[in-house]
Amino acid sequence: MEERQPETPFGDLDAFHGAFAELYPRLVSYARRYGATFAEDIAQEAFVILMQREERVEHPTAFLYGTVRTLSLTERRPMKNQNLSLEAVTEPGLAGGADDQVLNQEVRERMRMLSPTFREALWLFVVEGLSIREIADILGIPEATVKTRIHRAKAQLKDQLNPSGGVHVLV
Amino acid sequence: MSWSDPARRFEPAEDVQLRAELRELLGLQPAPQRAAVPVTEELASLAEDLRKEALRRRRTERRRPSWGLIAAAALPLLAALAGLGTWGVQQKQRADGLAAHAQRQEAELSRIAAANAAELARERKAKEEAQQQLQLVAQALPKKSLPYLVIPVNKPLRLQGEDYQRVKEKPGQ
Repeated sequence: MEERQPETPFGDLDAFHGAFAELYPRLVSYARRYGATFAEDIAQEAFVILMQREERVEHPTAFLYGTVRTLSLTERRPMKNQNLSLEAVTEPGLAGGADDQVLNQEVRERMRMLSPTFREALWLFVVEGLSIREIADILGIPEATVKTRIHRAKAQLKDQLNPSGGVHVLV
Repeated sequence: MSWSDPARRFEPAEDVQLRAELRELLGLQPAPQRAAVPVTEELASLAEDLRKEALRRRRTERRRPSWGLIAAAALPLLAALAGLGTWGVQQKQRADGLAAHAQRQEAELSRIAAANAAELARERKAKEEAQQQLQLVAQALPKKSLPYLVIPVNKPLRLQGEDYQRVKEKPGQ
């Protein structure tokens, strides 16, 4: 039996619809966290750019996140702060992702205490559930750097939990 | 991890463990298994519109010239250069042929000139030998008589009173 050629980066049409239904709200939420005004347009444009490519994309999810990040930062270019913002999480109704409802005030405060560089990698790894390789693709940095940032974020979180510098209880 | 990205299915166990530790540090619940998001009519329609838009852009986008196109564009130039090269080679071969022919002609002329010179020398030598033989023969012959008229007589003419023979009469006699 001849194998059917995938029509999209995610496989056949049904697989694409399933991936779109799952990723689109997350990408919209991700764009909003960067302060994008037209988050839906950015997420849709990311899908179009992905589907438009004739070359095979190895990590479509990472490509979508990276494109959304780039487009959001481009939209925000006049603004000075281009780091991942958590303002959208604190504003009700602005970030519609399911994970935002999971994040309570304490978690948001802990993440806010992190440096923006570590926060971005930590967010993608923990909340978005992306792999180290995908985060490296999104941020355009080596995987080792991603791991370093995540481990440093972990160390900072431990310091937050134990500010006196004693032995960490959560190891 | 239920997304349809095949590359995401294989995550090292240490990364999974690290994520779990970080979730614990942040005070998050353990990562729940994501339930498959139902594909609503609206989402499917939007996905289809985006897919068609991507296909339309792919068809209408201005393509960058590929290597094949560049090669095709350079083909006339390459053909002209190849033709020029062939013509040059032919001209060189022709010039070489002419030069060889001229050299052969020059050698032939030199050979003919040498033969002529040798023939001339041989003729001169033969002529000199003939002159020498002629001189020898001439020396062997009796000496030439004096360059005046000698009338041989059987006996010398003895005129009376004169011991010579008048051969020229005086004018008026």
